[in-house]
Amino acid sequence: MKRFALLAIAVLLAAASIGLAQQSSQATLRTPAGDKPLPTIHQNLMTFFSATDVITALGGAVTPDANGFKVTLNNVVAAFGPDSRFAVVRDDLIEMPLPPVIVDGKPFVSAQFFAGFLSRAADMEVSWDGTARVLTVRPQQHNVTGVQVNVANVQGTTKVVITLTAPIDYSIVKDAQMYTIRFKTPIRAPYTDQAHEDPNVSHTTFAGNDLKIQLTAPDVVGDAYRLENPFRVVIDLRKAAAAPAQGMPALPPSRPIEAPGIHTIVIDPGHGGKDVGALGPAGTQEKDATLTLCRKLATSLAAKTGARVVLTREDDSVVSLDQRTAIANQYKADLFLSVHMNAAVVKGARGSETYFLSLEASDELAKKAAETENASSKTTPNASSSDLKLILWDLAQQTYLNESSKFATDVQEEMNAIAGIQNRGVKQAPFKVLVGATMPAALVEVAFISNPDEEAKLKDDAFLATVVDALTKAVVRYKTDYETRIGVIQPPAPARPNVAPPPASTTTATTTTK
Amino acid sequence: MKNRAVLILVLSLSLFTCKKKTTPPSNLGAQNQVVPRTVRLYFESPALLLTAEQRSVQLPQNSAGAMPAVVRELTKGATNPALARSLPPDTVVRGAYLLPDGSAFVDLGGVTLTQGWQAGSHEELMAVYAIVQTVTANFPEAKKVRILVNGTPAETLGGHIALDRPLTPMSELVDPRAR
Repeated sequence: MKRFALLAIAVLLAAASIGLAQQSSQATLRTPAGDKPLPTIHQNLMTFFSATDVITALGGAVTPDANGFKVTLNNVVAAFGPDSRFAVVRDDLIEMPLPPVIVDGKPFVSAQFFAGFLSRAADMEVSWDGTARVLTVRPQQHNVTGVQVNVANVQGTTKVVITLTAPIDYSIVKDAQMYTIRFKTPIRAPYTDQAHEDPNVSHTTFAGNDLKIQLTAPDVVGDAYRLENPFRVVIDLRKAAAAPAQGMPALPPSRPIEAPGIHTIVIDPGHGGKDVGALGPAGTQEKDATLTLCRKLATSLAAKTGARVVLTREDDSVVSLDQRTAIANQYKADLFLSVHMNAAVVKGARGSETYFLSLEASDELAKKAAETENASSKTTPNASSSDLKLILWDLAQQTYLNESSKFATDVQEEMNAIAGIQNRGVKQAPFKVLVGATMPAALVEVAFISNPDEEAKLKDDAFLATVVDALTKAVVRYKTDYETRIGVIQPPAPARPNVAPPPASTTTATTTTK
Repeated sequence: MKNRAVLILVLSLSLFTCKKKTTPPSNLGAQNQVVPRTVRLYFESPALLLTAEQRSVQLPQNSAGAMPAVVRELTKGATNPALARSLPPDTVVRGAYLLPDGSAFVDLGGVTLTQGWQAGSHEELMAVYAIVQTVTANFPEAKKVRILVNGTPAETLGGHIALDRPLTPMSELVDPRAR
């Protein structure tokens, strides 16, 4: 009997949890056109609203497709499905706390979807009053600007990102240990005070139209800039005499002067730590093969070029793709070479190939930057070029593609000179590690670790010495060529005196400036 | 006996509740009618380039419904043993969407892609562009493809090819006879 009673309780609890999991009820949809009943679902402590009722009330439509639903309003289309927390709208994503719920073929979504979609499609804002059970959709109140603050630490620099619902004027004042951002028009503060566990920022506080950023020390200095779509004010904060960020290799003692030419070379051993890269049939891991080769290459380059050579990792540690590029940028490197070992499913794949960033990737970004630049010039006529800083980070490599192509060609030609290496050519692809590099950059795939013969070669010191020699020659060749073109070193006497060297103005136009 | 009566009441009540509350998702509308269609699926040839294999597949009539089905067909691999499947064998296609501006979104999942794929550049390049090529070849309205992993934007599939932007087909990766 006792067992029956326990079973009954279990069944009762299960029934109760199912009830808790999904309850349907009515709320009110308040639009400028008036109030309407709005079916809602309560599930997992969240309220989901009938997308069809909200969107049709605003003159749009929700139609099913095989994956989910398509939402159309004012020619703006969004799509979502029951499997994903993300709705897509144009090239953008709207994040929802939980995926949509489908009941009787009708989609129910959280208020975050409407906030994201209606701000894009109808310049409207959405608020949910859970007590009165009213979902209000109204034109965005442009006289009161919504503000959100995010504080994040990236490689030792604290980024305070202030996202505003509309572009508004502001001024920034630095006191002893505080930055005050004074907005010229009313704002809607998300909170009054918030503490942060951050090396540079202790508190952010709203008072009237002021946002006060309390610093941890007086020597924290900042650099502010604006970004568009959405409108953001970003303040980068760091200690005044900041050494290279944590995790960065220490500066070698002899820092060459910042003169034109190739003085700093960053070598990037692909993968590392738990990211082992590709695996050879005999068990060789790409991360080990790249590190061994790059250590030898760094020694050789330092000896042969006299340049400062920095490795993005000196041991078996995890370094993110962005961080590898950031290290090169932070050291103001003049050349970046990422070293990888290739792998293919197809048996017998062999040879070496060298990549530089594809135009496709940079074209897409260039378009995005141009759109941002246009938006920025409309709203803030005096916007400084630093407004585009984050996108320019992504676009950085575009400026250097011509040089990167030359460098990649030098690398591949020297690799081709190694006996027994099959030439797979110079190619372009959207390699993530090359995207943000503000210097000529290439990625060499030395050999196929998936090929047993080439895997064995990568264990052979004599072969590695040949590869190191080839890559060193490639760097020296590019360095000499580049420095000759920019006039740092004199070109060798021409073979025929009547052939004049190209005029300096045309050559420097395509080269890097620091 | 009284206890047993209560139990029966509770059981029947809970069954009733379950039935009422667990209506199966029914977002597969009338568009779900399927018709046979010949599709071009891209796999890696022994020449280390993408080449097309034609296959007749039962597909929903509208392209929004057909797209995930075509990408799922790609993950099944080639029937020609000479052609290699570039994606990890356990890859699942969680969804595929087409937006009116010509952007397709392909959402991938599966244990390997979730836990970290130990891929070489070449195999990753083949995997990413097998999807881009298959989607754009079978759906001319799709001009660019954005790949997501588990519903969220991913940096790369295996540490090489940037997925934080829409990708367009790269003809140099495709065997000239299959372009």
